[in-house]
Amino acid sequence: MDGGGALIQLAGVCKDYKSGPEIVHALIDVDLTVGAGEFVAIVGASGSGKSTLMNILGCLDRPTAGVFTLGGVGVGDRSGDARAMVRNRLIGFVFQGFNLLARTTALENVELPLLYRGVSRKERRRRAIEALCEVGLQDRLGHTPTQLSGGQQQRVAIARALVTRPPLLLADEPTGNLDTRTSYEVLALLQTLVRDQGITVMLVTHEPDVAACAHRVITVRDGRITDDSHNSQPVQARAQLAAALTV
Amino acid sequence: MLGTLRLALAGVWRAKLRSALTVLGILIGIAAVVVVTALTTGARQVVGNQIESLGSNLLFIFSQPTARSGARVAALGLTEDDALAIRREASAVSKVTVYSDVRVQVVSEIANDSIQVVGADASYFSVRGFSVEGGRMWTASEGLVKAKVCLIGQTAIRKLFGGVDPIGRFVRVGKHPFRVIGTLKSKGDSPFEDQDDRIIMPIGSWRSRVRPTSGRRVQLIMAKSKSSGHTAQAVRQIDGILRQRHRIDDGEEADFRVRTQEGFKKRQDAVFGALTALLLSVAAVSLFVGGVGVMNIMLVSVAERTREIGIRMAIGARKLDIQLQFLAEAVVLTLLGGGLGILAALGLATVLSQATGWEMPLSGTAVGIAVTTSLLVGFVFGFLPARRAANLDPIEALRHE
Ligand SMILES: Nc1ncnc2c1ncn2[C@@H]1O[C@H](COP(=O)(O)OP(=O)(O)OP(=O)(O)O)[C@@H](O)[C@H]1O
Ligand SMILES: [Mg+2]
Repeated sequence: MDGGGALIQLAGVCKDYKSGPEIVHALIDVDLTVGAGEFVAIVGASGSGKSTLMNILGCLDRPTAGVFTLGGVGVGDRSGDARAMVRNRLIGFVFQGFNLLARTTALENVELPLLYRGVSRKERRRRAIEALCEVGLQDRLGHTPTQLSGGQQQRVAIARALVTRPPLLLADEPTGNLDTRTSYEVLALLQTLVRDQGITVMLVTHEPDVAACAHRVITVRDGRITDDSHNSQPVQARAQLAAALTV
Repeated sequence: MLGTLRLALAGVWRAKLRSALTVLGILIGIAAVVVVTALTTGARQVVGNQIESLGSNLLFIFSQPTARSGARVAALGLTEDDALAIRREASAVSKVTVYSDVRVQVVSEIANDSIQVVGADASYFSVRGFSVEGGRMWTASEGLVKAKVCLIGQTAIRKLFGGVDPIGRFVRVGKHPFRVIGTLKSKGDSPFEDQDDRIIMPIGSWRSRVRPTSGRRVQLIMAKSKSSGHTAQAVRQIDGILRQRHRIDDGEEADFRVRTQEGFKKRQDAVFGALTALLLSVAAVSLFVGGVGVMNIMLVSVAERTREIGIRMAIGARKLDIQLQFLAEAVVLTLLGGGLGILAALGLATVLSQATGWEMPLSGTAVGIAVTTSLLVGFVFGFLPARRAANLDPIEALRHE
């Protein structure tokens, strides 16, 4: 693999968890290179280490061994605050459970990453509205999560991940709590982001239909990458959505 | 900074009832601090004014019984001649006067009441700061011949004459009628008595007609030192003169006692200091308990909002951001308590000052202390919960239900 212009590079990454006297090897000697603008799906059985991998990619966790470089800079061994900065500047997260702040409006949720970046109030507002428009929620700015549907909540979460214009978007089972139609809505949105803005998306999923929308599918098994295949004909989520509507 | 504050306010507002209950301890503590400060300031002022009203740089010489066997010496007590000797010989003393008093029934044409009857000499007025308002002072010859004349204070006028002008009228003490020749300007309360509830007459008249006493004896000698800097020297000189006159060796127990006005003041200050310390320590306990309450509620809040903390960390909040958020919330809580405490103190001080009739100034210092204290309590007791929040692991926090 050629890592010249790679956004993500993992080399010999291991992650061990100590639970009591036992040591769980959640990731074993993982090598992975992902270029800018790729749409990668990560699949694998439950407990295979997908979330562990995502946590390391997202700088939420540190590898036990190995090297992790993001945008050419080694970040695997940075301190807590340095990793917080990387998360804020380079990474957007989308979670299965949406993870929006309760009792907080969509707009305020989306403004949050900019707050920790020290952006002025006016500018925060402007950019948050812009991000919410991109995900098609321009008329739901003042709604709190409980006043939004699951798909809408996930779109708010995507807007929050996008508002800082990060080069990398990580999504751990973003469609896990959504029905098929809403899943395709979210996927269509992600595909648009990859195509139009050159954002790199890495997405964990259990559903083959979802994985079929990605350019590249990585299979994880017992902490190792066992398969890494390119998909030259990814399913277009927008087309699926249109088809579903006409039926 | 402003954002952190707004966030903290929102956090406090979200749990209104809980915040209100938490704030109660701080409120009581701060209110106590402010009221105690106002109360003691007021009381100090009242008593301070009373001591001031005695005059200034005063020395009081009392006679005191001794355990010694010399009956001759004990019988002597203090005399007018002692006062004359002090006037002659004590260079640090500017004025000396003699004084005797007794509270007896005094009778006028229309009323009869118990009044302080004072015998003194002319310098008594300037030493103690009494002045004649209407009528006149007695003359030197009236003093010498023990004339039956007196001056009368405002309270005594009210008691004995009602609204009638007393000058030229008579009051009877025992079987002797005294002509009122003048009235005294009102002086208010001293720490010991109502200074206006009295009549004053020449010491000779008092001794021969009110309480017949032998050998020019007086109850009290009062002196005024030349300045506050001369007071210590004056005490030494008076002690020396009287020991010599009463034939008491140095080191022997004297049959008199010299007290200074500063001494009174110091004693009052000590009493107020102790009282303030006691009340403030009660307030401090309340503040501590309130602070622990804040800490407790903040720990609960951190536990409840673990997931929120995880989300904030995932999208880039640093440790410091999280720590400041929770610290600010604790400080907002205690400041709220402090503010409400100041308001409560304001109300209480108004009620108290109406009840006691003292002025209770709510000083800027007291408010300043209250605000600083509540800030401090917030920081001290908010620190641990805030640090706990900041040290959470982002993944575990995110996974938290
Ligand atoms: N904090 C932890 N302590 C101990 N073991 C852990 C911890 N987190 C994960 N593991 C273990 O690491 C392995 C990989 O877990 P991971 O969450 O990455 O699986 P996954 O592929 O995301 O599974 P799923 O599809 O069910 O989400 C599992 O065996 C799990 O038990
Ligand atoms: Mg998982």
